[in-house]
This record gives sequence, structure tokens and C-alpha cells, in this order.
Amino acid sequence: MTRFTITADNVDLAQLREDLMHPGSGGFCAFEGWVRNNNEGREVSGLEYEAYTELCMAEGERIVGEAMERYGVLAAHCLHRVGDLKIGDIAVWIGASAAHRDEAFRACRYIIDEIKHRLPIWKKEHYLEGDTAWVACSHTERAHEMEPPHVHGHHHGDAHGHSHTHEPQHSTEPATAVIPANPEQGASAGTTRRLDAETESLDPGLRQGGELKDFTPDYSRQTRLRDVGEAGQAKLAAARVLVIGAGGLGCPVISYLAGAGVGTLGIVDGDVLDASNLHRQVMYDARDIGQRKVDLAARRVAALNPAVTVHTYAEPLVAESIAKVFAQYDLVVECTDDLASRYLANDAAILTGTPLILASVYQYEGQLQVVSSIPGEPCLRCLWPVQPAPGLAGSCVESGVLGPVPGVLGTMQAMEALKLLLGLPRAKDHALQLVNLLDGSSQRLPIDAAAGCALHGGCVEVARQAIESAQGQPDIDRLFDRLHDAIAAGYAIIDVREPEEVATQPLPVDSRCVPVALVTAGTVELIEGRVLLVCASGKRSSHAARLLRQRGVEAYSLAGGLTALPLGLNT
Amino acid sequence: MTQVTLQYYAQLREQAGASSEQLSTGASNLRELYDELRTRHGFSLPIDALKVAVNAQFSDWDRALTEGDTVVFIPPVAGG
Repeated sequence: MTRFTITADNVDLAQLREDLMHPGSGGFCAFEGWVRNNNEGREVSGLEYEAYTELCMAEGERIVGEAMERYGVLAAHCLHRVGDLKIGDIAVWIGASAAHRDEAFRACRYIIDEIKHRLPIWKKEHYLEGDTAWVACSHTERAHEMEPPHVHGHHHGDAHGHSHTHEPQHSTEPATAVIPANPEQGASAGTTRRLDAETESLDPGLRQGGELKDFTPDYSRQTRLRDVGEAGQAKLAAARVLVIGAGGLGCPVISYLAGAGVGTLGIVDGDVLDASNLHRQVMYDARDIGQRKVDLAARRVAALNPAVTVHTYAEPLVAESIAKVFAQYDLVVECTDDLASRYLANDAAILTGTPLILASVYQYEGQLQVVSSIPGEPCLRCLWPVQPAPGLAGSCVESGVLGPVPGVLGTMQAMEALKLLLGLPRAKDHALQLVNLLDGSSQRLPIDAAAGCALHGGCVEVARQAIESAQGQPDIDRLFDRLHDAIAAGYAIIDVREPEEVATQPLPVDSRCVPVALVTAGTVELIEGRVLLVCASGKRSSHAARLLRQRGVEAYSLAGGLTALPLGLNT
Repeated sequence: MTQVTLQYYAQLREQAGASSEQLSTGASNLRELYDELRTRHGFSLPIDALKVAVNAQFSDWDRALTEGDTVVFIPPVAGG
């Protein structure tokens, strides 16, 4: 049945109330939202509501359903008016009937809070002075978030109770009308690859929020710099920059480049936001958890500078297509926490002649390298010719990191990007810059191109060979819903995690534990038959599987690792 | 014996428990020096996963040690 109505007509209150009558109900609670004659000190003569109706209907229905299940109410309905309303009109009506009053009260409160947060509805206030303004219908507190879970009589567990935080916050940002309602959560990351960017339509005229419609960016503080000026600003507006990774490094890079007026930003990220990201990924907030970072980042850019066009790539770039993507950009900034991505980006940059700005962090320190991709100038492989085994170069997950560290390094990347785009003076040498934020030291170590790839045929030849061998990788990855399915399909499971990880989270199936270092060292014997290597994220297992392939073992890797198992580890 | 100053980054700093130290070593070149340090600090990283710099210049592992050298060991890091 329809539990959510959106209408421009007057409301028949008696009918709405009657529809919720239920023989099992001992309590009925209704909430009415009225149009009042003032807002933030200004006298209001009336209101105009505008809604993205299709999204509202789906989301509104979902919210009422959530409230019914969450609080065990027997019947509930929500009605939202759109169009012109005058003082005293009902804008929102919510009713809930339940066995006891408490559930009915709570359900009403839940529905109104969620409606305010999640529905793409905008409100235009007409003031007595004759002017108007669009007001965001959002930023309300959610009372139910303060409740401990056990108070819900019919609470169906965490997965359900927190499901609302996995929904896009449609009404909070002006560009949300173009964000998909239910973004795919990237469950198949690592298998389905997409070359084409999803282009967010960021034409300011399409926005229904109103307040950004006539926004004109003001770059005066940077154009005042003699080396920038209007000519520099025009260069930025014409520039196309690809940012790989919208995490700790990517947040400052994306923010500063968007703020500076870089005309086109490509953003690559296959992840959804996790609560553990928030201490360092400052573009996002707690309400964004569970949403795709590319969508969140695109929304953030639209709010920060609507003049920027954003292309999003919701899957990691792969060896087969990365060069085609790079060819569409003037400059690439690598901001992932993944060495394989960094090496792949290096190779694609060299092959396409695209400048690349690399940075990475470890605990309290970071490294920065600008690869010019000009023949004769050094690249990442001139320093470290081959990618070290995953696990040798610690990640934020394994080693920990303090939030400002990627903040500093990402900010340095943004600075390097702007210097390159604007043609500002840069260091003459090609160096690896090491920054230690504990003792405040920084040192630049010049890289001698003649001692790097030049000894192995040159950067281009080295990159070409590396990218060709990387193209064999997709055949390594295998996706399963459950580890049992892999065993049923004839795979023997090899767990390449460290012993302490295995102890913390043992596998529910028969498996052999061979830490990745043993595979790398080549000291493992007697791996025979078809094996599926597993680790937490799929990185170590993928690396180990490739090594075993070279030794003739029919090895595969669980794509995305144990954390990506769709049904969880213990099913 | 040769007196050298050592600087460590990333996992090496963590495993050495310090970002720098002074050392009197009998090692004749950088490769021997790192082998000695692996034993001393239990470094997990193999030599081919590292870059080494002496007196602020990247160097070959076969370079001989000179009194007063500042030697920096740098692993690639992956965090972001």
C-alpha cells in the first residue's frame, strides 16, 4: 500500500486519520508541520515547496516502512505538500498507530526527522518585503540516533537499524538531484570494470536548490598574485586533472583544485566511505558512511565550486584501459593507498606523456615525487624498479596514520599540481621529497635518471613491459558469495594473512595458512591443484597468486578479499 | 671501524625505534652495513625493497663507507 503521498492538493485530515485505524492499536499519534509567518527573524507571507517527485516517492515510502518495522507500529502514513502554501497551511502530516503510545510517538518522530534529512524537497520562502529565498529543508537532529538500540520494541538488529545512514542525503546539498538514489555499492569491485566516466551534470542551471544558481566564483585572492593573474586563471579553467583516490590525500587535492577553479576534475575511487576514514578524509561526515566516495566527492565539489565539471570513475583503473583515461587529462594526481595503483599510474603516465604527482604516507611521514613524464627525466620505477610485495610497504590499515599526515602531503600535491598548471617556478631537480612530521624535517633526494630505468631500456620501455604484464591480472581474480562456494567449485583455500590476523578472524572453512612473505620468499612447497588465495582486502592474495602462477601453480585470488564477501565471512 | 650517521624512514624507523642513530661499523660498503643492521634491529625489509642515500644523494649498494657519512634508508610507503 502507499504509505507516502506527495500532493499539491489540500489535505483531508479526517480521511488520513481514519485510514490508520487498526483494531490492535491502543495509541495514535499525529504530527503536523505548519507554515509559520516568520523564519530567522524575517516575516514570511507564504511558502513554495518544490520536490524531485520520483525520488521523494521511493524514499518517502522507504522511510515510513523503516519506522513501522523499527518501532513495530501497525499503520503509518506521511503526506508532504508541494506547491504554494500560505500561513497556517499544513505542509507535512504524519500519523502512526500502534499497540502502545510510545511506539507511535517514536515512529512519528523518526519519520519527520528522516523526511527532513533524506527527501529532495526545497522550500522557497516569500517574505513580506516581496523578495524570496530558497531554504534547505535539512540539518535537523535525529532524535532516534540518541536512543540506545535496546529501547526499540521491534528492533531488527543493527543492519536494519542503521540502514538510513547508507542512504544518500538528498536534501542537504544542491547537486543531489543528479546523484543516483541507490548507488551501487561497488560489491563487484575488481571484476566489472568501467572505462567510461559517469559525468555528473553540474550545470548550475539544473540545480533546484536556488541559492547556487547565480553563484560566481571569486578567484580574486589568487589572481592578485602576479604569477597567476587572469591569464593563469584561464589556464586553470581550461585544465583537466585526474585525481586517483578520494581519501586522505585526495580530499585536500580535490578541495584545493576545485576551489582554485580547475575546469575539469576526474575522480577515481572504488570505495564506499567507512567510519574509520573520517579522521583524515575531511570532505565527508558521519552521515555519508556507506556511500560511494566518488558520489560524495562530486557532491562536495558541486557545493564548493559549481563551475567545475566532475567526471567520476567508480571502479579502479585497470591496465587495459588506464592509458585511454590518462589521455583525456593534462595532469594526474595519484592519491590511493595502493602501491599497485601507484605503479600502474606511473606506467600509464610515462606511456601517455602525462605529468603525475605521487605521494604516500606512513604513520607520521610522507613521500612526494613529481614524475614529469618527459623523456630523460626519472619516474617511480627509476627509484624502485619493481613493486614490492604488498605487506612490505605498510598501509594506513595495517600501520596506522595520524589524520593531518595525508592532509599535509595531499596539500603538497595540490600545490605541485597548481604550480605545473600555472607554469610557476618549481625545484630544478627531480627529487624524492621525504617529510617527517614528527621532527619537522624534510629532505629532497635528487633522483639520477641515468641510474634508473635507463639501465633497463628507458622508462618508456620499462613501463610498456610492466603494463603488458599487468594486463594478465583480471584472470587471477575470482568472486564468490561465500568461501564454501569456492570449495564447492573445486578450489583449495590458502589463507595468506599473518598468523595474528588469522587468529583474530579465523576462516569458517578448511584452509592452509601461508603468510604472504613465505610465498614471496619462495619457501613454500607442495602447493598443487587449483587454489584460491585469500587475504583481508585482496591485495596480498592477488600479488601472491601472480607469483605462484609464475611457478606453475593454478592460483587465483579472492577479489576484494574477505571484507568484500557479500554475505560476510561466517556464512 | 667507520663512524656513520644513520637515518631511518617508515617501517625501518619503527623497527629501529628511532629515526636516526650514530654507529661505529666494520662494514665496508652499504650492503654489508644494511646486513649488519638487519641483524641488529630485525629489519623485515629485503635490500631490494629499499633505496639508500648517502650524504643526500641516492647511492649504489656497493658504495664504500667513508668516515662521517650520513646514510638514509628509504622504503616505499603505500598509505594514502
